[in-house]
Amino acid sequence: MTIDLNQIEKFISELVLDKVGPIIKKKSGSQQNYDLKTGSRRVDIVTEIDKEVEQLIWKTLKDEYPTFQFVGEEGYVEGVTEITNDPTFIVDPIDGTTNFVHDFPFSCTSIGLTISKVPVVGVIYNPHLDLLVTASKGNGVKVNGEQFDYTQKYQTMGPLVLNKSIVALQPGSAREGENFTCKMKTYQNLLAYEKGFVHGFRNLGSSAMTLAYITLGHLDSYWDGGCYSWDVCAGWCILTESGGRIVGANKGEWDIPVDNRTYLAVRGTANNDKETQEKYINDFWNCVEGKLKY
Amino acid sequence: MVLSSNELKDIENKIIDLLNNEIGPIIKKRTGTTFGEYSDKTNSTDIVTEVDKSVEKKIKEFISENYPNFSFIGEETYIKGETKIGPEPTFIVDPIDGTTNFVHAFPFSCTSIGLSENGDSVLGVVYNPHIDQMFHGSKGNGSYLNGERLDVKKRPLDFTSSLVALESGYERGDTGNFLIKSKLCKAMLSENGAHVHGVRSLGSAAMNICYAAAGYLDCYWEGGPWCWDVCASKCILEEAGGILVGGNKGVWDIHLNERVYLAVRGGTTEAEQKKYVEKFWSYLEGDLVYEYSH
Repeated sequence: MTIDLNQIEKFISELVLDKVGPIIKKKSGSQQNYDLKTGSRRVDIVTEIDKEVEQLIWKTLKDEYPTFQFVGEEGYVEGVTEITNDPTFIVDPIDGTTNFVHDFPFSCTSIGLTISKVPVVGVIYNPHLDLLVTASKGNGVKVNGEQFDYTQKYQTMGPLVLNKSIVALQPGSAREGENFTCKMKTYQNLLAYEKGFVHGFRNLGSSAMTLAYITLGHLDSYWDGGCYSWDVCAGWCILTESGGRIVGANKGEWDIPVDNRTYLAVRGTANNDKETQEKYINDFWNCVEGKLKY
Repeated sequence: MVLSSNELKDIENKIIDLLNNEIGPIIKKRTGTTFGEYSDKTNSTDIVTEVDKSVEKKIKEFISENYPNFSFIGEETYIKGETKIGPEPTFIVDPIDGTTNFVHAFPFSCTSIGLSENGDSVLGVVYNPHIDQMFHGSKGNGSYLNGERLDVKKRPLDFTSSLVALESGYERGDTGNFLIKSKLCKAMLSENGAHVHGVRSLGSAAMNICYAAAGYLDCYWEGGPWCWDVCASKCILEEAGGILVGGNKGVWDIHLNERVYLAVRGGTTEAEQKKYVEKFWSYLEGDLVYEYSH
């Protein structure tokens, strides 16, 4: 079976532009009723709209690609749902749900496709900024439907060096315990003069938007733990298509699956310079204090 | 003399045109292209570019041509300990707010042009050309995003449900302000502390305050900004029902050059806002201290 990735990228792009985006834009900030999960995930929010949008995406994809598997945030069952080698759509109907509830304009929809567990199509759409970033394996990256010249972009940027970089971080929903401590200490190390001494942190509250922004050359890297495959699958395809790399958040985790739960994503470079990228990753890992475990 | 609402509206419109037609395009074109050129001010994270200087010069020329009797304070021409905000109408200008964003092409740099009279902000225009967001307002005239009136929907200002903007800023090291900021960030997040919905960082004081004005954020707290970072957005915030107070405990009345600020959104009552501010202050472990305040 030959799968036309380019056609799938196009199909999903139309779905998010025509159907999903308008709902997210219209409903942003209007949801005063939401479920707060209990315990350590009390600040993890799910709204009715998440569920509605996931249904819409699932149904549309199912009609068009009836043999493909589907993993979505809302239908996910911990310990049961698995990503297999089959073509699998991995979907976050609304990434950045807290942003969505607060009308902070960085919620988006994120739809990825894996084949043999590797992300090969990625579509991210932020309707508030009307920004559509897409990719499929071998076909480069598109921004609002236009081919994005990432090589030219990276040539105009400064060097990829930790102490000259802007790093995206997200504290996430675990707010005490070892992972929280590890994150707080690592943030301090990244800022400290004698350690990472990065130019700055940014926090957009959406993993998908962050990965899209790294691809566009707006950020140099993103370090996080606690995210799920649907938060990163689409962004993973888009970022790697532009020469970026995703490894684990902890030292030495060079090869990770899409559902690794901890991630360090680093942008591409002008000359596809793997050595510079690897040095950046090693320097970053040296600032990680403790270990993120999920 | 006190400027009337009509006079202010007329000035507001002229500034919008200036930013739309002349300043915005320069900032949009030059972002991310000046990495090699920036000169170190205090350390390598405080980046000032040649574009900053030339944009300020352009704005200053426009102002002296159109408003020859008004005073002018700009980031690039400010002299520490000498420049004072007088009672006369004074343009207070940050040619590029979010300079680190500008250098890195993170699309949250903007131009901030405020006008003060009798020491308080009476007009503000903040333009982010990368995502084409023009926030503007003047005393008695309301505030707007791209011509559309900011109307923060009435909703409870509940502390644990809040989305808080915090920045790590330029300061580094284990003492003083850096430590207070790190602790505050942790106290906001921790389930043993405020346990808020989330923290966001955009790297621009003006944009953060405008986002609070629009109700995208519930509050923004920071130490380090100068009068030109906040003058424009203060008026925009207040005209949308928000308040700007001191970031240190007990400081209800601020000078424009307070250096330590807490912005809280509208869409609620004054009593709720005050309660919220006091709650916020209660998490602070000590005062942030900056030179050249007032």
